Amino acid sequence: MKLNLLRLALKNIGSRRTRSWLTILGVLVGVTAVVALLSIGTGVQEAVLQQFADIGYDIILIAPMGAGAGQGRMVAGMRPDGMQGRFGTQEPAESNTESGGSFNPGALSGSSETESERMPSGMGESLTRAAPTTLDTDLLLEQVPQLIEAGTLGTQIQPIDTGTTSGFLRVSTPSMDFLNAFSSVLGGFEIADGGSFSSRTQNQVIAGARAAEQLQLKIGDIVDISSIPFTVVGILAPSNGAAQASEDREEGVLSGQGLTQNLSTGISTDLVLRGLTNTEDSLFVLNERASEVLVGRNMMSVTITRVERGASISDAKDAINVAIGQQDATGTPISIQEVADEIQGALSLIETVLASIAAVALVVGGVGLMNTMYTAVLERTREIGILKSVGAHDSQVMILFLIDSGLMGLIGGALGLMLGSILSLLGTQLLGPSLGVGAFTPIIDAWLVGGVLAFSFALGAASGAWPAWRASRLNPVDALASE
Amino acid sequence: MLVLQNVCKTYQMGDTQVHALRDVSLELAPAQLSVIMGHSGSGKSTLMHLAGCLDVPTSGQVVYGGLELSKLDSRTRADFRATEVGFVFQKYNLVSNLTALENVSLPLLLRNQSSKEARALAMESLELVDLGDRVTHRPSKLSGGEQQRVAMARALVNKPAMILADEPTGNLDTVTGNRILELLRDFKMDDKLVLVVTHNPEIAELADTLVHLRDGRIESHLTQEVPV
Repeated sequence: MKLNLLRLALKNIGSRRTRSWLTILGVLVGVTAVVALLSIGTGVQEAVLQQFADIGYDIILIAPMGAGAGQGRMVAGMRPDGMQGRFGTQEPAESNTESGGSFNPGALSGSSETESERMPSGMGESLTRAAPTTLDTDLLLEQVPQLIEAGTLGTQIQPIDTGTTSGFLRVSTPSMDFLNAFSSVLGGFEIADGGSFSSRTQNQVIAGARAAEQLQLKIGDIVDISSIPFTVVGILAPSNGAAQASEDREEGVLSGQGLTQNLSTGISTDLVLRGLTNTEDSLFVLNERASEVLVGRNMMSVTITRVERGASISDAKDAINVAIGQQDATGTPISIQEVADEIQGALSLIETVLASIAAVALVVGGVGLMNTMYTAVLERTREIGILKSVGAHDSQVMILFLIDSGLMGLIGGALGLMLGSILSLLGTQLLGPSLGVGAFTPIIDAWLVGGVLAFSFALGAASGAWPAWRASRLNPVDALASE
Repeated sequence: MLVLQNVCKTYQMGDTQVHALRDVSLELAPAQLSVIMGHSGSGKSTLMHLAGCLDVPTSGQVVYGGLELSKLDSRTRADFRATEVGFVFQKYNLVSNLTALENVSLPLLLRNQSSKEARALAMESLELVDLGDRVTHRPSKLSGGEQQRVAMARALVNKPAMILADEPTGNLDTVTGNRILELLRDFKMDDKLVLVVTHNPEIAELADTLVHLRDGRIESHLTQEVPV
């Protein structure tokens, strides 16, 4: 019986093509918006979580708190104009000197002045005042039995001079332990040219791909970091996070500004990770060497630990807190899981808000559908009388109208699903780089497909419920008498 | 046997009560052509609606084969119409977006008959009214006579116990009208009850039972010998 009613409903939809399509269009627009937003949103979440998974959920970061706050703010203040340019071809030193060698933080000025000369008033003082917060990782491993590995990654904003180009750049200072244990945390720490550090006693530097490109560095070149010459021994391959780095650069993170700011305030842990995993624009100096020759210039360091498989992350964090106290250091342990949860929560909230806005379009489509069905009942009153005169039950008339409106909802939903999927695929191509998650694909799984189709049919049927009920209650004699 | 006992039907039109039927008692037998005549507003169509279970009386009883139709609920009345009654209306009352075949199939489809079976029976019924070659046409592509024959085919497709026809020849030319009357007579010969509401005196001449209504009351009730 239902099949017969389905056929009749299809006939009705087909016989009112223009109006049916306009009604379906209303549902289609709403479903398209919801599908595109949900699939892109879920895709972004998955991509972000994958990045955390790549780093490893057994990692606990120990980010220093408070010690560098003032310094972070000072570095952030280096680029009040928000300009992106950092490098400039070096002019003859004389011309800069003659022009006063005015400091343009963030943009390499080509000056050969010393760092303190180039610093605006108070800045050098702030940098040197910053207290190193590095934990003794060997001691930490003894203090916290749940930890199997620990390493330190320092991050500094240092004046750079290649002879032809100068300015400020982030200098990361991983320890040898760190490189051995946590290269995955750095993401893309793959040497494309040259080799890794070969000596703890020589001034060696490894350049990130873009840093090397923009500074025009080759293996064997000399780079002055804070006026101390370092030899380029390796150049990294471009990482997958190129797009992310692009975003970072726009936000000033690339120059270390965002990283230090957030490490020092401890407010936004995601930027800590983004700073860590961005190798494109950094120079790398072995921590053991940096602490010797760049001593007193340390801005910030983060200790990274790996928890033994099966051990409780929470217990490990508690033990780390105790260890930090015992070492009289400062810092707060943050697990990768916590960071991931925080970011996922924020992304879910954004996704929910956007989907809610899109759902308004869906409700409007539903109202349009109700209007169409109500009009159809008025127009088809005589037909309802005919159906009843040949033996249709009230319930059959109601079901017929419900199927009619439900089918229009379903067709709108199916077409919206297809269009939304296409839009989300196009959208990810455009949004991926700008969202800073690199390439990602929208998630269109069986739940989304099934949910959208079921919801669309339910929306259609619900919108048609009242008109259908009215139709079913019509007196057959009155219905037959209508013109 | 269809029996109406002291049937009254009153409609409320705003503040006014309209008495469409007043204390009507009537017996209509199978294998007879019963004709109801009267002026417009005399209650002819109301009587037909009550007989066909499309409506219920305000008071009185409508009984068919011992079953009191006036006491049935909405669903059972619908079942009764689906199985026992075939309606033929003056305005044909075909569903405009369905073909002739689909219109005739409609009562069967609503009774949960398979589509294939319904189509076969509908085809048979359409051939009976000489429309076997017009099955795919929609009502708008059929003449008035053809539409009335489609309506006739639809009324017959269920093989009902009674045919109730409201001015079945009202909009038709003589030839087509005669063809419709022939079909009704054939149905009567099949031991079925046929009730025709009409103004047409030519149909009255064919009636086994002729009832005249005036202002909702039976003015005359004649049983006459007519050649069949």
